[in-house]
Amino acid sequence: MRARFWLFNRSHYAGIPRSSRAFLFGLLCLASAGLGFPSRTAAQETPYFVAYSHHLEEPGNLEIETYSIYGTQKGGGDFIAPWMELEYGVTAWWTTEFYIDSQTTFGDSTVFTGTRWENRFRPLMREHWINPVLYVEFENTTDADKTLKEVVGLDNQFDAAEPNSEANRSHTHELETKLILSSDYKGWNFSENFIGEKNLGHEPWEFGYALGTSRPLRLEATPRPCNLCRENFILGAEMYGGLGTVKAFSSSGTSHYVAPIAALQLPNGATFSVSPGFGLNDNSHRFLLRWGMSYEIGGFGRKLRSLF
Amino acid sequence: MRRLIICSALLFASLAAAAGASRTQMGDDRGLLAPIAKAPAKTRGWKNPYEGQSDAIAAGEKLFRQHCAECHGDDARGRGRAANLRSTGVQRATPGELAWFLRNGNLPKGMPPWAGIPEQRRWQIIAYLKSLGADGGDAATSAATPAQANGR
Repeated sequence: MRARFWLFNRSHYAGIPRSSRAFLFGLLCLASAGLGFPSRTAAQETPYFVAYSHHLEEPGNLEIETYSIYGTQKGGGDFIAPWMELEYGVTAWWTTEFYIDSQTTFGDSTVFTGTRWENRFRPLMREHWINPVLYVEFENTTDADKTLKEVVGLDNQFDAAEPNSEANRSHTHELETKLILSSDYKGWNFSENFIGEKNLGHEPWEFGYALGTSRPLRLEATPRPCNLCRENFILGAEMYGGLGTVKAFSSSGTSHYVAPIAALQLPNGATFSVSPGFGLNDNSHRFLLRWGMSYEIGGFGRKLRSLF
Repeated sequence: MRRLIICSALLFASLAAAAGASRTQMGDDRGLLAPIAKAPAKTRGWKNPYEGQSDAIAAGEKLFRQHCAECHGDDARGRGRAANLRSTGVQRATPGELAWFLRNGNLPKGMPPWAGIPEQRRWQIIAYLKSLGADGGDAATSAATPAQANGR
């Protein structure tokens, strides 16, 4: 009962413009409709939060994902930044994804911080020793965004110390590009991402990197259906950080993180992931904790068409 | 507001494009043989380490239902434009050719590569597919292996 009152308490949505609320409601309806489709589809994607591998969404599948990050903050309140992703396999070589970001800073406020639209393309049609993927994303966010989906340029933890009332006034339109290189070897995945981000408001290119590796706990599948068995668990780690700007290309003066990852991929298409992250220098948040779940709806495109 | 409308339009345009693209992605049974036949000659000799093992076949069936049945159907006879995996042509492909095809997929035609699942599991899926046997649903190419169908 109390939860219901919390949900309908208008003050929780005060930071979100009325039009955005309608848009969010529409997306939630779409997501709910998606969950109404029964699914048995298990994803083959890697469990990274920041790095990307070359494995794209299977064509026609929709993945609904909700993630959050908790971060400690020097000179300000700690924060939790939840975001939602809708990921769709347009073709076998093209995946598109839409994000909605928000955050709560303890002792400050809760704000909606923007949207992002990302596309990933596989230029080569076969598997190779190293597989490239091209990534293009348009971001329409505010400076209050704390999802830390990437670290670029001279990003450091003090950027996030600004009060929400001020940071959320500053809107940024950014183009983010990535060259994703990824390999699979004996059950391991190794991914390397090189990031170039351009604020479209006449600011220089900023660069960053993300590295990831992961492996299922057991490579063979067991004959019987199971949920909490070793084959469904994936362990891994990622490392990411900034590389300065086009005027000052450097790994110093920016932040870097290392984060182990654990994920449980259930056969019904649900995946649960958690990743504690640790800052590697004084510019970094000392501790980050990411967690989330995703649900894959197989054949969503076909099922959607069958409704009309 | 305008940005939200643009974002919404882009999202739904992507979904609409996807719906259209999916219609032309899957080839029919005969169309599957040509890409399988592109497997390098050396792959034809690859042996399935799980061939004929009942546990592996059961595991392969489980994996098939998780990853493949959505498109190819629970009975593997194909659904919509997804290939019938019991067709004679597919069943005559060597385990090595199927392993190569499963790893690489056929991206232009909508078959995703399954390199993201471990090699051992791909072999288990192949053990299951081979256990199904042919149902003769591929008459035009029933006498040919994928390599012969491709003129090699």
